Amino acid sequence: MATMEIDGRAFEVDGDGFLADPYIWNEEVARLIAKYDGIAEMSEKHWAIVKFIRQNWEEKGMAPMIRSICQVTGLRLKEIYQLFPLGPARGACRVAGLPKPDGCV
Amino acid sequence: MNGLSAQKLKALQLLTQPKDSQLISHVNSCVHCGLCAESCMYYVATNDERFVPALKVDLLSTIYQRYSTVTGKFLPRLVKARELDDATIQEMVDLFFGSCTLCGRCTLHCSIGVDITYLVRVGRAMLASMGFVPATLQSTVNAALQTGNNMAIPTEDFTSTLSWLEDELRNEVQDPQASIPLNQPDVNVLYTLNPREPRFFPLSISAMAKIFYAAKESWTLSTFMYDVTNYAYFSCNLEEAVKIAERLFNETTNLRAKRCVLAECGHGSRAFRWEAPNYLQKLFSFDTLTSVELLAEYIREGRIKVDKDKNQETVTLHDPCNLVREGGIVDEQRYVLNHTTTTFVEMTPHGLDNLCCGGGGGQLSMSEYGDRRMKIGELKAEQIRKTGAATVVTPCHNCVDQLIQINNRFKLGVNIKTLAEIVADALVLDQPAVTPSPTQKA
Repeated sequence: MATMEIDGRAFEVDGDGFLADPYIWNEEVARLIAKYDGIAEMSEKHWAIVKFIRQNWEEKGMAPMIRSICQVTGLRLKEIYQLFPLGPARGACRVAGLPKPDGCV
Repeated sequence: MNGLSAQKLKALQLLTQPKDSQLISHVNSCVHCGLCAESCMYYVATNDERFVPALKVDLLSTIYQRYSTVTGKFLPRLVKARELDDATIQEMVDLFFGSCTLCGRCTLHCSIGVDITYLVRVGRAMLASMGFVPATLQSTVNAALQTGNNMAIPTEDFTSTLSWLEDELRNEVQDPQASIPLNQPDVNVLYTLNPREPRFFPLSISAMAKIFYAAKESWTLSTFMYDVTNYAYFSCNLEEAVKIAERLFNETTNLRAKRCVLAECGHGSRAFRWEAPNYLQKLFSFDTLTSVELLAEYIREGRIKVDKDKNQETVTLHDPCNLVREGGIVDEQRYVLNHTTTTFVEMTPHGLDNLCCGGGGGQLSMSEYGDRRMKIGELKAEQIRKTGAATVVTPCHNCVDQLIQINNRFKLGVNIKTLAEIVADALVLDQPAVTPSPTQKA
């Protein structure tokens, strides 16, 4: 485990910067992780993606498919990649406080 | 060997009682010339001597000495022979899993041809047999074993994603007959995917579907087994690697496909095309090829029309280690880029001597060593920066993810694309009216 420091706040994270304890997550934590990735301000679109991912994880125990993210938020794929330059997994899921997904991400 | 646990005895068997003499020769031949040091990204990036590849060979060799030579057994200190104790095991985990991407560059640069990468895999196999695979890597293997794909995607989610992509394809090519076929028997091509494509990055699926459409290919995806990856190749648990490879072999056989085409995935290509016949001890009755070769074939044979003017930005190519250095697929991706882009520039070095992205060998999944992965990734970032390219193309989804991260961390400002995406962007489609469809025929 490592510690990630943002704006004077410190979080326990894994070696990839995902929260060690997903349950300490709240909107302030989301804003700080996003800031760490270079997202200066979370827009409405950012929140729509993050809140849906968080809700899906709380209900089903996993990140949603990108198809569901597009359909629920009404955003185009390429827009999602622009909003989260690290992609839906290492970008959006991390901001949503999920543990790191398995596989090539 | 008295007093050793059953697990340790099993691990030592892998080292001291191999099926042939290959291992014995390689583990005992290093002449300590040191040429491998500069070939290793871990050593170059950190200047830490622990990471010199020859010392990885040494670690294995000293264990071999302890249990397989008379001097090592009775006068271990004389030959620096090492016990397989807890300290040794921890060092093995750190060196074999924690600081090697299995990129094979040290093997290429070894003055006497020691297959160092192979020895690291033997070291990993010993650790796997003792239960010391890093938890994050094992978790990806387990997902594949338990659910049939390494991201545990439920079948329903997979099929609904493909149906969504099929609608998009129909819109894009303006042909209601365009399709992404599922579970079709007797086709030419059974195509495979890296699960991260349907889960998070489906542009490459759309790209391949559009290319298959343009080539009028008879193809299918299987909803039962589509995962091209085999993370047990990284964990080096042979039994688990066999199970995963067997699934794709069985599915290709059951569907009676003529060719099994492997998605852009370095280790997946290696594991199924070059390792699986050995894993399964079988001759395959179908052809196995990578999508890189298929794309080159389509262009060479005129199966698809491409216009390079559609891709005018400066493009560079990242060579995935398993596909290029290990698999020898060097020219095909260059042939494709020279026909689909106007301005292609090479990195230095490239081809067989290319630098790893930093995320190979399972590193991308092993959070335990995330910091080291980004540290060595800086070497790749500098290589990319020097080309001045706007787009980096790589035929490997694992490399894509690592490149996305170093792009962000080192502020490269480049686009990262798969080869299929570049080809799809350059496609020149027949006019929709020319394409015959059942309704038009009737």
